[in-house]
Amino acid sequence: MTAKIRFFARFRELLGTDILVEVRGKTSLLDQVKEIATKNTEGYDAIFDEKGAFREFVILMQNGRRIETAEAGTVMVADGDEIAVFPPVAGG
Amino acid sequence: MLSLREHERYRRQTMLFGDEGQERLKKAHIFVAGVGGLGSPVSIYLAVAGVGTLTVVDKDVVDLSNLNRQILHGQADIGKKKVASAEEKLTALNPDIRVNVIDTTIDETNAARLVGNADGIVDAMDNYPTRYLLNDIALEKKIPLFHGAIRGFYGQATTIIPGKTACLRCIFPCAPPKEVFPVIGATPGVIGTLQANEVIRYLLGTGDLLANRLLIWDGMSSRTEEIAVTGNPKCPACGSDRAEKIPEKKEHSLNGRKK
Repeated sequence: MTAKIRFFARFRELLGTDILVEVRGKTSLLDQVKEIATKNTEGYDAIFDEKGAFREFVILMQNGRRIETAEAGTVMVADGDEIAVFPPVAGG
Repeated sequence: MLSLREHERYRRQTMLFGDEGQERLKKAHIFVAGVGGLGSPVSIYLAVAGVGTLTVVDKDVVDLSNLNRQILHGQADIGKKKVASAEEKLTALNPDIRVNVIDTTIDETNAARLVGNADGIVDAMDNYPTRYLLNDIALEKKIPLFHGAIRGFYGQATTIIPGKTACLRCIFPCAPPKEVFPVIGATPGVIGTLQANEVIRYLLGTGDLLANRLLIWDGMSSRTEEIAVTGNPKCPACGSDRAEKIPEKKEHSLNGRKK
């Protein structure tokens, strides 16, 4: 019972590329990503705001399907899931 | 018709797509928004490929700190308008194309007029507000938007075809925060070259475009990955649920024309 959390770009530098996690019953996407991000303050601050919500520009995907970050607290991580967490870049 | 000189210039690529393909490129008009890190490789590769008309827009002046990545400009161009430097270099690379340059800031009052009757828009901007504006113009004119963006060793690219793919606002509903972004020149080199390759294949009608595919370049580990993207029915720019927003927009442009 595992799921894979994949970070991209700057999130990857701060938190690692692919993180395998044990799926233990009911953990939401929000809590799961938060748990991993907690190990690096800079990484956590890059993804979450002061209230602990996803920053509004963060893109979250579950098995290739976009999850609105505002709803990530109610979507559960399931066995075999691939969760992508991606920060768009702005430079040109 | 291609001239003798053009036949010779493009000989190694007409091996790929024939005179007919080359004529398509020659007839095309591409709008390149920005001639900085991304706009440099984009406009260089479109120029040498023989895209017949390039319109290049930028408001900035070449600064020494631009030169680590903006390969259209050199030491001797410091203090010059970027579009003047671009015109000089692109025309020198290929005198068989037309290069229009516009020294201005793209904003909502001029964007539609600047893009004019171009066949496609290349997003080589460094900020989301202007990108969203270009996205609106692309949707309005039903022409593709070739998106690229970079930071540090990372980049992203996708091709937006109005009516067929997700638009820029579907994919990125919220802009990342503004910052002075770090960058190594090879990153916009990779992404800008990808954008130019998309434009060329769109014009030729060949291959598979980055349609509904967000390509992510990880230059720290030399990996590319893709995220499948889909249109958002609630998208404020292109979604089917934006009915109340359309009349508002139309009024705006009507008012503009009356003046």
